[in-house]
Amino acid sequence: MADSTKGLKRSSAESDGSQDSKRLKTNGDDSAKMDGKQNPYLAHLNEDARDGSGFKSPLDQFERHKTTALQAAKAEDSDLNPWTGNPHSQQYFKILKTRRDLPVHKQRQEFLDMYHSTQILVFVGETGSGKTTQIPQYVLYDELPHLTGKLIACTQPRRVAAMSVAQRVADELDVTLGEEVGYSIRFENKTSSRTLLKYMTDGQLLREAMHDHDMSRYGCIILDEAHERTLATDILMALLKQIAERRKDLKIIVMSATLDAQKFQTYFFNAPLLAVPGRTHPVEIFYTPEPERDYLEAAVRTVLQIHASEPEGDILLFLTGEEEIEDACRRISLEVDDMIRESDAGPMSVYPLYGTLPPYQQQRIFDKAPEPLRKGGRPGRKCIVATNIAETSLTIDGIVYVVDPGFSKQKIYNPRTRVESLLVSPISKASAQQRAGRAGRTRPGKCFRLYTEKAFKKELIEQTYPEILRSNLANTVLELKKLGVQDLVHFDLMDPPAPETMMRALEELNYLACLDDDGELTQLGNLASEFPLDPALAVMLITSPEFYCSNEILSITSLLSVPQIWVRPNNARKRADEMKAQFAHPDGDHLTLLNAYHAYKGAEQAGEDVKKWCHEHFLSYRHLSSADNVRAQLKRIMETHDIQLVSTPFQNKEYYTNIRRALLAGFFMQVAMRESSNSKVYKTVKDDQLVLIHPSTVVTSPYDWVVYNEFVLTTKQYVRTVTNIRPEWLLEIAPNYYDLDTFEKGEIKSALTRVAEKIRRRQAMKGGR
Amino acid sequence: MSTLKHNPPPSSKKDGDSEEDDYMSMTFADPSLDPTATSSQKGETSLQRRLRLKREAEARARPKSKAELAAEEEARREAALSQSLLTSQPKSKGLAMMAKMGFKGGALGKQQPQQEQEQQQDGDGGEGKSKRQWPRTEPIRIEIKDGREGIGLESERKRKIREAAEAAGERAKRAKAEEGEYRERMRREREAARLERQFVAGQKVAERIALEKEEEKEERKGTTASRPLKAIPVVWRGLVRAREEAERDRRMRYDLEQGLSRLPTYEDAEEDEDDRKALGKARTTYVAAEDLDEEDPELEEFNALPPEERLRRVVTYLREEYHYCFWCKFEYPDEKMEGCPGLTEEDHD
Repeated sequence: MADSTKGLKRSSAESDGSQDSKRLKTNGDDSAKMDGKQNPYLAHLNEDARDGSGFKSPLDQFERHKTTALQAAKAEDSDLNPWTGNPHSQQYFKILKTRRDLPVHKQRQEFLDMYHSTQILVFVGETGSGKTTQIPQYVLYDELPHLTGKLIACTQPRRVAAMSVAQRVADELDVTLGEEVGYSIRFENKTSSRTLLKYMTDGQLLREAMHDHDMSRYGCIILDEAHERTLATDILMALLKQIAERRKDLKIIVMSATLDAQKFQTYFFNAPLLAVPGRTHPVEIFYTPEPERDYLEAAVRTVLQIHASEPEGDILLFLTGEEEIEDACRRISLEVDDMIRESDAGPMSVYPLYGTLPPYQQQRIFDKAPEPLRKGGRPGRKCIVATNIAETSLTIDGIVYVVDPGFSKQKIYNPRTRVESLLVSPISKASAQQRAGRAGRTRPGKCFRLYTEKAFKKELIEQTYPEILRSNLANTVLELKKLGVQDLVHFDLMDPPAPETMMRALEELNYLACLDDDGELTQLGNLASEFPLDPALAVMLITSPEFYCSNEILSITSLLSVPQIWVRPNNARKRADEMKAQFAHPDGDHLTLLNAYHAYKGAEQAGEDVKKWCHEHFLSYRHLSSADNVRAQLKRIMETHDIQLVSTPFQNKEYYTNIRRALLAGFFMQVAMRESSNSKVYKTVKDDQLVLIHPSTVVTSPYDWVVYNEFVLTTKQYVRTVTNIRPEWLLEIAPNYYDLDTFEKGEIKSALTRVAEKIRRRQAMKGGR
Repeated sequence: MSTLKHNPPPSSKKDGDSEEDDYMSMTFADPSLDPTATSSQKGETSLQRRLRLKREAEARARPKSKAELAAEEEARREAALSQSLLTSQPKSKGLAMMAKMGFKGGALGKQQPQQEQEQQQDGDGGEGKSKRQWPRTEPIRIEIKDGREGIGLESERKRKIREAAEAAGERAKRAKAEEGEYRERMRREREAARLERQFVAGQKVAERIALEKEEEKEERKGTTASRPLKAIPVVWRGLVRAREEAERDRRMRYDLEQGLSRLPTYEDAEEDEDDRKALGKARTTYVAAEDLDEEDPELEEFNALPPEERLRRVVTYLREEYHYCFWCKFEYPDEKMEGCPGLTEEDHD
């Protein structure tokens, strides 16, 4: 599709016949299936079909970039779907009515006028204005991609959002998801050659741009939720700024939910701004008179007070993570039971909400609040205890009270210690406002902030730091190189990262041999960028055939790309640990993961009920099957690039050794040495940080050298997912990184020097013989 | 390890010394007199040495406590976090690549006009004092949060500590000036307490005389008269009131202890006369001291006066009413009060 449309010349609505015949080619297989006369794309071709019984699309009258809201409304009202030619369903008209009630609808004409007048447009709409679903459709009716062959892309920061919004919009347009409206996320593509409007993750658009530097497939790119400032959105903005100069026909809309839009305007050559008010009610904000000693306890207390004394309305409590949320849910439920017994309080359902919760449990937050216990009794309510995913991405109606302790878990990266970790940190003022706003969705609400007004003013930063300032940029730098950005130092980012972060990224890529000493992409780097993986993982995967274990490394890579597959419920920890011990490989967690995966595949091949099998073995079926899916995708990429899939025979005693060595080929920068013979403390190579092995490990014997998958920082410093290695391998596999002259004096250097000496002696002996 | 750091290697020092030594001298340097040799090596026998090394090895091998580990971990982290990579040695290849792209220090991002760039380098980017936000030159700091303290608690605590420290400093400054004042204050307090005691004594005298007078009257009349509180002259009414209040409290406490854990005033509707008799509640044992519940503005006003004034008043009252001098402890027969030197205590010295 990409190549065929690239061949198309850009054109306006008044396309001539030859152009359309090309278009016909791209649609070849579809039109063969369909009645040619019924195909709306082709309707304008068949002049004779226009009169008579043939489908006459209202879109025929449209002139690209000159349409009006009235025209569009007429087309939407027609009995036949202008995009498919099929009759509109009942459901369609029902949804159409609600769509027309959305705040953005009133400004459709205004939007179109502005859209026609400018190349780049900044659009501000508060949550609930309908911008994510409606604006792309307004663009669709104006851009007429079926004539130009240039798609409309709308990016979302989250996979789930891209999928669910695409489904919603497909319903609104009365088309099948994956046909006219589709989505594309990492490891999953639900589009076809007929797709006109494509929702996708921002990361996915970035990956596409690596092969299409001008994004020539698209006529209009909409960056949604730009205020979230994800890494990919920031890079896309910088890229689009450049592309906009080269491609004057490309339209760009930057959509944001916050009023900090001026920054976007200035950045995009003072682009015009269109603001649509959200459907919000006033929210009264309360602060505590004194700082809280324990925010969790204060939060639980506040929820109970609201339940006891405030009128009907649901409660949303923001906390930082799974453990804390489950704890709070338990405590609130217990206390409410007491309140019902003792003071005739109404019932309350308490629901947790966090990212790793299975989808069906996430859905429960949309359940209705419970009925009063008896007729005329005090009304029930629901209380949702959520991470900051309820801050912007999910909209829950009925929330009237918000309790905000002022913390969230935020990713942070510091190049000086190379730790990328989730840390509980105070939120920003912007975030606090967003949280408060959640209380005013259905009617005037109240927000209880568990900090003082003074603390709000003095201690909270204005805006949350954009992700680009909080991330390891190795992957980004590799992508940028692939995107053809030569000068990374002066790349025009909205918030350029600290120079040290960039330096670290370049250095790491150089050690991984993805960049040469001049900063140019190497062949390996080129190949690594083809994989939607971190460079270390990609390099490990690409070099794995040299260690005769690419099948196994492919499995491990997939397993490391999905959330933890181990399930460890609070009420069955011991059993879960016992089950995990069955898969344990004494040499480490990577190999244990592999064992579990092999057992899973074995059960699948034996025709067992895999879901049941996973449940019995305390494994996550969801994550294992998604690892399986990831594996299939990666395998396809490997095959396209002729990377051999090989295995050492299992009987060979080198089977596991080869895998352990292959791990080092990507992760040689993540190695730790035990501090002394009777200590549990390890020291990371070069960064000299003291770490412990995470308690989730299966490793029991204290190995002197380990390779680790991640360095996590909680209140302690841990390395997680570790496997035993031999120091000789380090010198052999990554001689550049383990150039002993670059090491600082210390235990690690002397240990490695001894190892080097030993190798030298052994070789000398061999040579002597 | 640590011992090595503290003790400079003796060999090198000795080398230095030996240059000045007289080679021809037949005397041997006594190692115990060598000031550079440290105590541990002074005259150490091989046995001692072995013991020392063993002890040192044990110290090294001892597993560190959690607190020690945590402290060391944090120290390492802080050390690494405060060290800029741009200046670290050896030079990173990454930095060399950036230099090739034109990096000359400062922040990344779109090239700014020369003048602005200079400004920016002074301003050490980040959330700045300047109106515009400059791109950052330093990575975001890592702050690790322990426990569940709310926002602002930490700074509130710091503020309190600071204020306490300031207040302590202030107090120390003031303490010197206050030394004299302190003595004066103690003297005043002692004086006030003495006057208060004398005032109470005066009240007691007034009451005693009043009762004596009344008894005389009663004997003559033969009737008993109870007096409401308000009828007592204000100068010694306080004494009676305080006593009665104490008595009432005692009674109430007693009633409460006896009263089957119910307030004595509690009336149970289901209790009939017999129950009450059985429970020993036939009579209401509680007498409401209505008088005591009443407000007494006159007394309050009187009590608000300073003790010397109250003492003066009670003394004057005694003189005028009973021709009694509090200081002479004598009741004079007539109002001239002959023989009494005067109104005040000083007069009687």
